[in-house]
Amino acid sequence: MEKRLIKKDTLADIIAKMAGDVLVYAPVKEEDNVLFKVLEAGMKPLTRYANTKNAPKNFFFPHTEQMMKFTRTEKGAVFAGGEGKSPEAVLFGARPCDARSFVLLDMLFDQDKYKDPFYIEKRAATTIIALNCVHPPYSTCFCTSVGGSPTSSDGVDVALTELGEDYLVEFLTSKGEKLLKYFGDVKAGDAEVNQRVQIGEQAAREIKSHIPAAEIKPILDVNFEHPYWATIHQRCLACGTCTFLCPTCHCFDISDETKGADGVRIRNWDSCMFPLFTMETSGHNPRPTQKERWRQRVMHKFKYYVDNFGAIACVGCGRCVMYCPVNIDIRKIVEDISRL
Amino acid sequence: MENVQKKLREEAKNLLEEGKVDVIVGYEQGTLPLTATPCFISDPLEAEKLVWNAFCVQNLAKYVHDVIFLHRESQKRVKPEDRKKKVVGVVARGCTTRSLLIHLQERQYDRSEVFVIGVPCTGYVDKKKQSALLEGEEVLEGVLANSELQVKTASGDRKVALAEVLADNCLTCRFNNPLISDLMIGEAAPPMDADREFEAVDAFEKLPIEERWAYFTKEMAKCIRCYACRNACPSCYCKICFVEQTQPRWVGIGEDETDTQVFQLMRLYHMVGRCVDCGSCIAVCPMGVDLRKFLKKLDKDDLEMFDHRAGTSLDSPAPLSTYRENDREDFIFNP
Repeated sequence: MEKRLIKKDTLADIIAKMAGDVLVYAPVKEEDNVLFKVLEAGMKPLTRYANTKNAPKNFFFPHTEQMMKFTRTEKGAVFAGGEGKSPEAVLFGARPCDARSFVLLDMLFDQDKYKDPFYIEKRAATTIIALNCVHPPYSTCFCTSVGGSPTSSDGVDVALTELGEDYLVEFLTSKGEKLLKYFGDVKAGDAEVNQRVQIGEQAAREIKSHIPAAEIKPILDVNFEHPYWATIHQRCLACGTCTFLCPTCHCFDISDETKGADGVRIRNWDSCMFPLFTMETSGHNPRPTQKERWRQRVMHKFKYYVDNFGAIACVGCGRCVMYCPVNIDIRKIVEDISRL
Repeated sequence: MENVQKKLREEAKNLLEEGKVDVIVGYEQGTLPLTATPCFISDPLEAEKLVWNAFCVQNLAKYVHDVIFLHRESQKRVKPEDRKKKVVGVVARGCTTRSLLIHLQERQYDRSEVFVIGVPCTGYVDKKKQSALLEGEEVLEGVLANSELQVKTASGDRKVALAEVLADNCLTCRFNNPLISDLMIGEAAPPMDADREFEAVDAFEKLPIEERWAYFTKEMAKCIRCYACRNACPSCYCKICFVEQTQPRWVGIGEDETDTQVFQLMRLYHMVGRCVDCGSCIAVCPMGVDLRKFLKKLDKDDLEMFDHRAGTSLDSPAPLSTYRENDREDFIFNP
């Protein structure tokens, strides 16, 4: 495994140079928001930021994605493929929690039984460069409660760790090593790796939020019906902020849009918080109120995903906690459930 | 403010104990520093949770509508002679009472179904302003004392004057005291700077049309269609929003910018004479879309063309739901 050291102030230029060769998705500042965006020529990425507002899942699983095209002709419908082959790409600046989200999403989109070609193609063509957390970016971070850590290497191809005036660059996969040429020739050794380990341990100790995420599964198993479910949702606006900003939420809706004889089939993010999510053609809705929708959100993350894939569908980034407009705090919900 | 909160808790407890209300919609402390969040209290002992401070943001009229309609839905399965009325108490500042008046104008529920606990208001903190002033740094701890936010961030202790972070709609609010109430708590609040309410709109109107359109498209491009704005809005109570109708589908659900613009434009125009400038839609928007610029323009048109202000009295419904022979029509023929 190759390791390099680079000067801190050279990082933005290195990534900008990469953007001249391949598609680069990186954090940029847009007005008051830090967002993952495609780095256009001449743009430099941010290298100092807490975390982005949107999750990097957008890159592999866009808000709207074309699945196929079709045209009505006199001889019947003619179908064509989607948006074409995914180009080689780099995702720069994912925090370790967000990088871990791809390991979780892979379980769903790339399983033995079902394969999602749209996700898999983009995922395979993309190298992930993660920026380790020297300190937890927010007091709402709880990655260590859900199986992650401030320096987790899950889902990471190249890991960057700030060491004083330098970055330690660790190439963790063969995919990552293909980017070696961008990072100079100052080799790093065991001393720097030890430093990174210590920094990681220190950062993990600094995490303030701890929730019993792994302990609530047996409680959820037997409490599908429980008065507690009637207490979370009342102030919920039923907006999609939590699910749209979540790195692991992945539900989608498929829609055909036509203009004359031509049409496209697109898939779009959907949210279990929306009333329409489970609406059936008959008009019946098996999740008639926000109570059932909230139960679904909690169950899906902390029970069903564990049943199906053996992992909690949460990486502890804290976005839903920080950006919920009415402060419904998943940390408190997990805590409350553990005491049922 | 603290006295108001103390009195509010006492009165809320009494109202619940005496059975005058079945539930009180108010605010409780949030789980993050310097936040408050809507809460629903039906146990008198829980009245202690109620807070009233500069972090109470959401317009609670939205929840009054929700609670009453959910209750009515549940009563459909009850024999007519056994049906019960539910009275919802609501902690209401000026803008909240205007929204309640709109609901009443639009015959959403009966006046006797809502008990208005009026509170004076001197404005709430705009989280986005607060965050910008702190250069995006997270607030680790914080208190509001002497019209000053004293906060602790990763880089140290900071102080921010409350006036610097009050929401724009609060700074120029004309109706910061309740317009209706069944019980008024505390003294009337001093007036805000209402004479400047259209200043930003006046400036925007003077821009060339290209610049105004460019601003609109830029703002709408931020929208992620989470519908938080619509769902937080007390005037957006349609059972099925046009954007979610599927037979036929009026608006595409994809990321196409025209679909987003159509959604926002349609919502904005449904707000003519029905927007009370409570700022809830702006406060909940996760992406920081400047919806107020456009809502305030419609508000100004409402006033100038129809001499109407949203939700200010029971007998002045919105111009688009009423007709007068002398209604202006020049904008139709000479836009």
